[in-house]
Amino acid sequence: MRGRSGLRRGGRALLIALILVWSAFPVYWALNTSMTTLNGAQSVPAHFVPSPFTAHNYGTLLNQTGGGVGNQFWRSFLNATIESGLATVLTVAIALFAAYAFARLEFRGKRIILVAVLATLLLPVYATLIPLYRIMSSVHLVNTYLGIILVYTSGFLPLAIWIMYNYFASVPRELEEAAFVDGATPVVALWRVMIPVSGPGIAATSIIVFLMGWAQFIFPLVLSSDLATQPVTVMVAALYGQRIVPFTLLNAIGVLAAALPGVIALVLNRYIVQGVMAGSIK
Amino acid sequence: MSGERTQTGRKRPRRRGRFLPYILLSPLVLFIGALALYPTIVTTVQAFFTVDPVNPPTRFAGLANFRALIHNPFVRQSAVNTALYIVVGVGLSTLFGLVIALVLQRRSRWRGVVLALVVLPWALPGVVEAVIWGWIYDATFGVLNSVLKSTGLIGSYHVWIGIGRVVSIVLIELVQVWQVTPLAALLILAALQSIPQEIYEAARVDGAGSWEKFRRITLPLVRPGLAVAMVESLILSLNVFDQVYVLNGFAPGGASIMLQTYQISFNNLNFGQGYALSLLATFATMLLSLLILAVVYRRVEF
Repeated sequence: MRGRSGLRRGGRALLIALILVWSAFPVYWALNTSMTTLNGAQSVPAHFVPSPFTAHNYGTLLNQTGGGVGNQFWRSFLNATIESGLATVLTVAIALFAAYAFARLEFRGKRIILVAVLATLLLPVYATLIPLYRIMSSVHLVNTYLGIILVYTSGFLPLAIWIMYNYFASVPRELEEAAFVDGATPVVALWRVMIPVSGPGIAATSIIVFLMGWAQFIFPLVLSSDLATQPVTVMVAALYGQRIVPFTLLNAIGVLAAALPGVIALVLNRYIVQGVMAGSIK
Repeated sequence: MSGERTQTGRKRPRRRGRFLPYILLSPLVLFIGALALYPTIVTTVQAFFTVDPVNPPTRFAGLANFRALIHNPFVRQSAVNTALYIVVGVGLSTLFGLVIALVLQRRSRWRGVVLALVVLPWALPGVVEAVIWGWIYDATFGVLNSVLKSTGLIGSYHVWIGIGRVVSIVLIELVQVWQVTPLAALLILAALQSIPQEIYEAARVDGAGSWEKFRRITLPLVRPGLAVAMVESLILSLNVFDQVYVLNGFAPGGASIMLQTYQISFNNLNFGQGYALSLLATFATMLLSLLILAVVYRRVEF
């Protein structure tokens, strides 16, 4: 009996180790490659720690002179941050009002509107890609931040509404009723009562939406053809396809492009898990 | 007393703001209407038109776009490829997700750390992941070759992507599985945690072993979570694009339907056929989602 439970514990530990290797090894491998020379990265068999160690690849990226890779990288990094950041602010602002209306107010057509909005969650990229490109190009918003931000916001709203709606629905009504007795309007109740108690829900929504924005590829590939608005994903794919940037440098770029979402995911993990699980139970 | 308070509390906002809900919803309705529903209608309608910006005007074409697609060998190949992407993607991410969820369900000291690292691949951009994995798969210096050779599983280094069609697709899809598995794990975990502990207690009293408890309690009761996880990974693998674009380019051997749609629309500027293929793929997404829900989903109440 004892031997069997020991075996089971060993098996469980092995399973956990496998899961950790599966989840973290590729990222570790990119770090490893980014911190060695081209010769070090091309050794056969591969070195599992950077040898020889060098910070040269990161140095190249910090060098901002001229139109080099470093310059392109930081511009696209900035673009991605602006686009995902502003899309997050816009999405969360719109979602707060709408989710409050869905969760707390009674009105005609509520069910239909809610179902129509959530149904768009099931629409694949296919359904909207070409028309969105043609709409944006007809109103001259191709290659602009605004065009990308509008497209992102329309894509992220359904999920944001779903998470916020579930969160608001879980807040006890008594909290607002005290405010209503004092003569508050719903907007005041939302502002003074709901938003302050919904910090974790708003954080979860914002983080998930921001990460989705940072990861976008096919929409910016279609909507921004030059460096003025290209996010880091489009830039990295282009560099990879050209096959002129050495792999060590490419991995350094990959590490930096993964750093922001990676750190957010590791540090604010709790909110992501809450957000995903809150949206899933119903 | 409290009932009275509720009444006055609810009456006031309702009387004062009959239009308020619509004002609060107007930005949402505007966005979804103009940039999600309207484009979907455009795709649906214009799939039956010839839409060519170089050769206007747009004119009705009946089923010509669909006929052209069906006779296009590259489109047919990409449909077969995508079927393989879906089988590998849904199968592996559900399996891995279930295993990870079962491990995470048990509270332990390590749970927080494991959970944080497990979620990591989900948070990173697919393009960046594809670049990272592309180097792992590298034919001359890749660590996959290095590990397989030093463990004696292969005799010499291989070209992994671009030669054998099935191997290429499986390895490209594995990168997407890496990204999607955390989501599947969390969805399944949420379902696992909603199973009341008493059921397991009762089974234990009745003398059920671990395997029996898993087969007779966990598996049936986790079906809603499994169904949602499978639909999520179905939608993502039917849409697979980033990983294919980076790792395989436009080579027909691994091209997905999304890649074909992109190529037809934006490289060949044949928007009509692009719409038609998009419409077919949208229908396939919905039909397969419904199929998964019908087969896997069971309403569970405790």
